Amino acid sequence: MSLEAIPIHVITHAPSEPGLSGNAPPLLREISELLQRLLDSGESAAIDLSALPLTPADLDWLQAILGAGEIAITLQASGESTLSETACPGVWWVTHRNENGAVTSQFIEVAFIPELAKAHPLDVAIGREQLELLISDL
Amino acid sequence: MQGPLIDTLVRQGVSRRTFLKYCATLASMMALPPTAGRAMAEAMAASRRPSVIWLPFQECTGCTESITRSHSPTIEGMIFDMISLDYQETLMAAAGFQAEEALHNAMKDNFGKYLLIIDGSIPLGVDGAYSCIAGRSNLDLLKDAAKGAAAIVAMGSCASYGGIPKANPNPTGAVSVSDIIKDKPIVNIPGCPPIPVVMTGVLAHYLTFGSLPELDDKGRPKAFYGETIHDRCYRRPFYDQGKFAKTFDDEGARNGWCLFELGCKGPVTYNACATTKWNGGTSWPVESGHGCLGCSEPDFWDAGSFYKALSTPANPLKLAATATVVGAAAGVAVSFANRAKKDAAKKAHQPVTLADLEK
Repeated sequence: MSLEAIPIHVITHAPSEPGLSGNAPPLLREISELLQRLLDSGESAAIDLSALPLTPADLDWLQAILGAGEIAITLQASGESTLSETACPGVWWVTHRNENGAVTSQFIEVAFIPELAKAHPLDVAIGREQLELLISDL
Repeated sequence: MQGPLIDTLVRQGVSRRTFLKYCATLASMMALPPTAGRAMAEAMAASRRPSVIWLPFQECTGCTESITRSHSPTIEGMIFDMISLDYQETLMAAAGFQAEEALHNAMKDNFGKYLLIIDGSIPLGVDGAYSCIAGRSNLDLLKDAAKGAAAIVAMGSCASYGGIPKANPNPTGAVSVSDIIKDKPIVNIPGCPPIPVVMTGVLAHYLTFGSLPELDDKGRPKAFYGETIHDRCYRRPFYDQGKFAKTFDDEGARNGWCLFELGCKGPVTYNACATTKWNGGTSWPVESGHGCLGCSEPDFWDAGSFYKALSTPANPLKLAATATVVGAAAGVAVSFANRAKKDAAKKAHQPVTLADLEK
């Protein structure tokens, strides 16, 4: 069936800039809602950017609007990941890369601290054991 | 996050953060909600390694190569630490009697619970004599192994649809796994070879949820085979603008324009190459300048020339059938047909380079 058969005509506004799909601005509302939820209940959330129909220009636009914040965390785990706080505290731009430096996934995480930055209690326990070993060797 | 699996990984030097990152990426690729990454990590960390039996039939070992060679040592390889691979001829150290014994023990000890992976088609001609292991035909082995399987994964186009062995004139009478086994859940992971992350994604789903992921009408996981190569192709804007490469070395080819007129089968091929890419995200066929062959579609080998545009009536039988089965693709096919009329004169002319390629 061709689209002409549907008696409704969609008027598409020309995007203001080339490459912009218009899909990015609604995300800001969602982020705002998620921030309110974080404040009310302490519940963190994430938006999977690779799952949304966003063009590279959309992502640039979103990144520019959200701005750069005070903290940027670099994680070296099978390739580099960056977890950067945006100018809006509590909103983190998380980019995972593989060993070749290619982006494997991208998220906006709404949290006081991103999940990955926290140390796991079991890892802390292992670390302390190793520290005790070092101390006993002194 | 604790349990037998993560303990094993930590001992091998894989940190919890690496594992979490891996699960987040995997969940994203499987189109699961972002929170699923965390849930997957928790569930998989605590999971007991399921027994996996991998039987190679009429195949070229390309599927095994794809899975085992394209990953970095830790990431895709991690999945091999999450399963107990009890039989895999190419990878196992055991041979002969010991290998067959391992297979029989795994089948007996885990009856009803093991995951059966099949790569290669099953030849039915001459009572299955074209492909035998330890004196038994593939057909016999498959029926026997399927009895105790919780689920079957058909790896690659041969196991999924018959693949190249089934291509005209199909001398061995090759058929797919689903042509023979009717009473078990089967997931098809077609591709020649299939994309490694699709395989690991299906295994991760099985480990996390204890079931196979959602499948489409051809038995493929929707998360990876939900859209065509064409719909996710980074050259798609050129198609929409009508900018096509006409030969492999013209200005259009150099400018990276759409390869549709050079026979790209992207518009009728459902796979994830355009998003996951190949060789650790390095590139994929269209990015390297060659059209999609449609290797993950049934009977791709007999669907006409790889170098004739889809709209030319080279042999549109299979591709047209594919398009009508899938509603969304039907509209695409119609617009191709229109293009064909308009460009008929142009299409009659075949550049020498293409003719050479077909020889």
